[in-house]
Amino acid sequence: MTNPLYNFATTEHSASGDIFTSLGINGQMLLFQAVAFLILVFVLSKWVFPVLMKAVDDRQEAIEASAKAAEAAEKKAADAEEQLHELMKEARAEAKDIVATAKEEANAMIASSEEKAKSRAEKIVQDAHEQLEKDIIAARKALHNDTIDLVALATEKIVGKSISESIDKKIIAEAVKEQA
Amino acid sequence: MAQARLSRRKVAALLADELIAGQNVTNKLAAYLIESKKTRELSLYVRDIEAALSDRGALLANIASSHQLADDTQNTIVDYLKKKTGAKNVYLRQDVDPSLLGGVRIETPDQRLDTTLRHRLNQLTASKM
Repeated sequence: MTNPLYNFATTEHSASGDIFTSLGINGQMLLFQAVAFLILVFVLSKWVFPVLMKAVDDRQEAIEASAKAAEAAEKKAADAEEQLHELMKEARAEAKDIVATAKEEANAMIASSEEKAKSRAEKIVQDAHEQLEKDIIAARKALHNDTIDLVALATEKIVGKSISESIDKKIIAEAVKEQA
Repeated sequence: MAQARLSRRKVAALLADELIAGQNVTNKLAAYLIESKKTRELSLYVRDIEAALSDRGALLANIASSHQLADDTQNTIVDYLKKKTGAKNVYLRQDVDPSLLGGVRIETPDQRLDTTLRHRLNQLTASKM
């Protein structure tokens, strides 16, 4: 049995005698296109590609710089956050100490105030007692003096009228006798 | 008596001697005080004369009471003063003061005895606080 593809190739080759021609390729045109292609490649590689590559490199560098900056910012933010936590921790501790100190001072002040109030109250009570004693003594003195005045006045009034010459004589005799 | 430089005690002693001798010295004393311009010192001279008399055994005592003293009371006082001061003669000069209320006040040149009720009342009043 004969292969159909082999038959077709054999038929066509024998018909044209040249493969390029049979394929419709013009040699000159091919050469021309090759040269043009090379020139295009040269021009692109000489003036276009470097600019594009430079732009790409710059862009990449910018992206990398941005990424580094972002990374640095993130790290900085993390550090700042950590520092903030530390500061907050210290602030809390300090606030706790301040509150504790304030409580101690307040307690001390309260104790001092209570002590002062107590001593002042005791002083007031003591002063009141002393004043009371002074008043009592003054009242006793006044009573004593008033009694003396009253007794003297009464004696003068009563004795001055009631004492007779005979009684006076007796008084004088007793007085002289006492002195003798 | 015209000796202006005599001390008061000396003058009093001279006058006391004359009094004991029975002379009246009142005019002499008055003349001396006027002449020496010491009339303001009359009470001092009288006191010194009384003291001089007392030294010579003649005691002059001022007696004050609320009633006139009876003779026996005066004798009691004279006896008391003689015994107390050793005076040979005691002369009483009495003064009646009803405000004394009772008792007697005896004043000699160097002593004072006050037994009057007025004095005791004054002492009581003075004891006020």
